[in-house]
Amino acid sequence: MIFEILRMALDSLTANKLRSFLSMLGIIIGVGAVIAIVSVGSGAQSQVTSQISQLGSNIINIGPGISRGRNGRISFSATDVFTMELANQLLNNCPSLSRITPNVQSSGLLIAGSANYQTSVVGVTPSYQEIYDYYPALGQFITEEQQENATNVMILGAGLAEELFPSQNPLGEKVKLFIRDRKLLFVVIGVMEEKGTGAMGNLENQALIPASVILKKINNRKYVNGYTAQAVSTGVAKTAVGEVEYFLTRYLTDTDKFRITSQEQILDTINQVTGTLSLMLGGIAGISLLVGGIGIMNIMLVSVTERTREIGIRKALGAKRKHILSQFLIESLAMSSFGGLLGIGLGWLGAMGVSKIGGWPLVVTHTSVLVAFSFSLLVGLFFGIYPARKASKLDPVIALSYE
Amino acid sequence: MLIKADHLRKVYKMGTIKVEALKEASFQISEGEFVAIIGPSGSGKSTLMHILGCLDQPTTGKYLLDEHDVSRASDDQLAEIRNKKIGFVFQQFNLLPKATILQNVCVPLIYSGIRGRRRQQKLAERALQMVGLGDRMNHRPNEISGGQKQRVAIARALINNPSLILADEPTGNLDSKTGKEIINIFQQLNNEGHTIIMVTHDQEIANQARRVIQLRDGLIQRDEVIS
Ligand SMILES: Nc1ncnc2c1ncn2[C@@H]1O[C@H](COP(=O)(O)OP(=O)(O)O)[C@@H](O)[C@H]1O
Ligand SMILES: [Mg+2]
Repeated sequence: MIFEILRMALDSLTANKLRSFLSMLGIIIGVGAVIAIVSVGSGAQSQVTSQISQLGSNIINIGPGISRGRNGRISFSATDVFTMELANQLLNNCPSLSRITPNVQSSGLLIAGSANYQTSVVGVTPSYQEIYDYYPALGQFITEEQQENATNVMILGAGLAEELFPSQNPLGEKVKLFIRDRKLLFVVIGVMEEKGTGAMGNLENQALIPASVILKKINNRKYVNGYTAQAVSTGVAKTAVGEVEYFLTRYLTDTDKFRITSQEQILDTINQVTGTLSLMLGGIAGISLLVGGIGIMNIMLVSVTERTREIGIRKALGAKRKHILSQFLIESLAMSSFGGLLGIGLGWLGAMGVSKIGGWPLVVTHTSVLVAFSFSLLVGLFFGIYPARKASKLDPVIALSYE
Repeated sequence: MLIKADHLRKVYKMGTIKVEALKEASFQISEGEFVAIIGPSGSGKSTLMHILGCLDQPTTGKYLLDEHDVSRASDDQLAEIRNKKIGFVFQQFNLLPKATILQNVCVPLIYSGIRGRRRQQKLAERALQMVGLGDRMNHRPNEISGGQKQRVAIARALINNPSLILADEPTGNLDSKTGKEIINIFQQLNNEGHTIIMVTHDQEIANQARRVIQLRDGLIQRDEVIS
């Protein structure tokens, strides 16, 4: 019997193709919008997060605390707290940390033969390469000994090597560095691999020298700007943050003097923001689903009125309430579910177009498809019940005499 | 006794106005009878027909169909009785315009839970052949004449093998020649043992039945066997 009723419902929908399509349009657009928006949201999100997680999600930044500047502006309070000594103590006291490297850099003019180049000079320790997952392609990296002795050795970024030593092997060559009133002579011991522009900015044109050289021979002070540390694994990144926080709070006795940010935290924040955003937009699109439901209810009410006589005939021939109810309910469900399917197709196409333009991967999640489709079914059910009940309750005598 | 009508009374309320469409009707009809209910317009014929057909219920009084008291049955119980025991033939034919003739005849089978499309169609084909329409099964109602439509309606009324066939002015929308043909079908069905109750305001048509119940202002004025 259910098959006959299903067939009757479909027959009546196909008999009024244009009308059925127009009343489905609201659902089609609603579902399409939900799918497309959620997909665009997650696509953009996955692009941002993949850029950030290139850094490794077990990276922790330790820097000076943020204090309120004048006029409510935010300014970093430069506090003289971060020494090389403290870095070692952190590493010894925080078992979840595997490596730590100081953040210290300057900028100056590099001269090699007739070539010169103004660029940033970064102070590094041997751990730098593992933490940033950035290794020399030629020669070697700075050793523990060179850092210890503040030896004047330099490793060039791939782009910088090209600038200073075009078509020439830079290994063993000498480079002069002018910073403010100082002049230092370095030996090139390595060239870094190419690593494009990522979330860390452009590394290609940097010069890397031992952090101790910057501290002792350029800045003449023992403080660095902060540290970049690495947790043993992604899983203990949160624990590591806690350990660092605990240690520094005790050591510095002032939580305002430092600030710890982990990549994970940044990722969390970004995911939260984009998630909320796409949820909100999806919700707005969901409203159009509701409007689509009202369209379906409207057309079903018209249909019930138009077919009053048919309902009377069916009742006279033995249709019970449940038969009439299910006939009309199936009709509205068929409309909303078919509209939902078309909407999924439309949303998919829309998401594909936007992802092509935005250059991120097409992400259409099962969840968003499932949620949008079940929501459209729910809308069909909800807005179909009233007209169907109205039809099923018609008095057969009155319905039969309806003109 | 197929039908026992005991002090049937029907009052319609329209706001504060009450219309007593049927004042009092008591009669009995046995199986195999062919009864014409006759009377002027507004005399309560249709009202009585609706009660006998379980489409409506009396305001007061008792109606026994096949020994069952249906005057207190629920809507769904009435629907089941209509489906199993009653076949309707209306003045307006009341076919579903978008369905084919075969599908129209199948409608009562859908609600009686007879499974299988093939089986339903077999039954419908046989019913259509009985009324001489075996060759028109895939036409739609607007493609056939009024007389043919009424034959389809008769086939549909017969399909569940009901105890009672109720016809409300079955010839009202037909010319007199076609009307006679339809009456002939009823006579033939009656000869085969079907119980038929037919409402008409046409004395000549009524004379084709075996018994006439005459209504006037909601009261039975005459009830006699005529042949
Ligand atoms: N649904 C109704 N509401 C109010 N009055 C009705 C209704 N149906 C019938 N009537 C009234 O009841 C009386 C009998 O009607 P009906 O049984 O249709 O007569 P007939 O079929 O003999 O012409 C008429 O006066 C009619 O106006
Ligand atoms: Mg009448």
